[in-house]
Formats: sequence, C-alpha cells, structure tokens
Amino acid sequence: MAAAAVQHLAGHEAVAARYRDVDRAYGETRDLRLLGFMFFLVSDCILFSSFIFAYVYLRVSAPTWPPIVDGHQLPWFDTSFAAMNSVVLFGSGVTMHFALENWKHLNTRKFNGWLIATIVLGIGFLLGQAHEYSVVNISWQGSTMGASFFTLTGMHGFHVFIGVCYLAILGIQANRGVYTSSKYFGLTAGTLYWHFVDVIWVALFSLFYLW
Amino acid sequence: MSEVYIERGVALLGAILVGVTAIVQLKNDWAAHGLDASVTKLLLGLMALGCVLALLAAVNVLGARA
Repeated sequence: MAAAAVQHLAGHEAVAARYRDVDRAYGETRDLRLLGFMFFLVSDCILFSSFIFAYVYLRVSAPTWPPIVDGHQLPWFDTSFAAMNSVVLFGSGVTMHFALENWKHLNTRKFNGWLIATIVLGIGFLLGQAHEYSVVNISWQGSTMGASFFTLTGMHGFHVFIGVCYLAILGIQANRGVYTSSKYFGLTAGTLYWHFVDVIWVALFSLFYLW
Repeated sequence: MSEVYIERGVALLGAILVGVTAIVQLKNDWAAHGLDASVTKLLLGLMALGCVLALLAAVNVLGARA
C-alpha cells in the first residue's frame, strides 16, 4: 500500500518534471494560452448562464409548469432516459481524464484507446439527444418550455459536436507528433473543454429533468 | 422488463461506476498544482455531483413527477 503510494507520488513528480522541462518561451506562452482558454470557458459559461437565467425566470413567472397550451398541459421530460444519457456523457469525462493522464505518463497506446472511447461516448450522447428530440412531445414553437429546452440543449449539443470534432483533431495531431511528453497544451485544453461541456450538462439535466 | 427499468438500471450502475471513478481520480490528483490542475479538480468534483444526481434520478428520488 505504502509502496504503491510512493510509486504514485514518484509518477506525479516525473510528470511535473517533464511539464517544467520546456524552453522559457514555450513555458510563458503556455501559461498565457491557458489563461486565454480559461477566459474562453468563462465566456462560454456566461453564455449558458444567460439562457439558464432566462429559463428560470420564465419558469418561476409562469402560472403553471409545464405550461398549458391549447387547453392541455405539456408533459414532463423523460427523466429515466435522460439519466442514462447523462451517465454516458459523464463517463466520457472520465475516459478523457484517463486519456490525458496516460499521455502525461507516456502511455501512447492507452491514450489512443481512452481518446477513442471518449469520442464514441460523445457520439453516443449526441445520438441519445437526437432520439430524445424525436420522441419528445413538444416543439420549439408555441411554448416557453419547448423554446427553452431546444435552445439550451441544442446549444449544448452543438458544443458536444464541436468537442467530438476537436478531440478527433487532437487525436490525429497527437499521433502525428505535434505533442510531446512535455509540450501538450492542446490536449490539456481539449480535456478542460470536455469537462466543461460535462459540467454544463449537470446544470441542464438538473433544470429540465429534476427540478 | 419495461424500457424504463432498463434505462434506470443502466443509469444507476453507470452513475455508481463513473461517480466512484471520478472521486478516485479527484483523490489521486489532489496533490497536483497549477491552474489547469485546479480547474480539472473543480470540474471532476462537479461531474461526481452530476453522477449523484443521475443516481438519485435513477432510483426515483429526484425527478419523480406526480
């Protein structure tokens, strides 16, 4: 147990040493690029927050929820399917984390395997979302519930789609030698983006399916 | 077995598996420093929270509609 902990810490130290083992110019631009990427994620967070607050406002100010349209109350969304699809997306966050960890620990084969698993799970989530759109009994027009649902989940789905393309490009770049054991900012940014997309879904899942 | 039970079963098992893995990874990375490591830890924690929510939805504690 203690030996495993020591080995784990040594692994962390080796990764940290490789991370620091870059020329000064790269080190400085890496920090700046990371900061810039964080600003991008914050701006994306503000974009989602705006729509989320609009949805919350519409919902709390409505006399009944789900709203009544043409004399009929709209149905709730299917929680069980959404819970299953959510787990698919959260699972992809874990596989992406494993992919980056394996790259840091110089296991390229495992990196490729986890990255492919992430892309497959991301596509699985998108297919699940498409299935949900095909069976859900509301439309974009005619109700604030439908408009909010399709706008927010559609925007999120677009982010997932971009993320899948982004990860595929990162995978190609990694296998063409663009990244090394010490210079892999693109992979870090890709992982952060993918985790961000997962976390946004936590908020949307809670708002539309659990609240 | 109805479709709903299968979906809830998959969600329950998946949420446990993914949630535990996320927490273990969070524990493993706890000593890591730097802006990216800190943000990763925050996002992993929120993802674990998402797994708890999915688990509660799977067992009908959350999201149960009258």
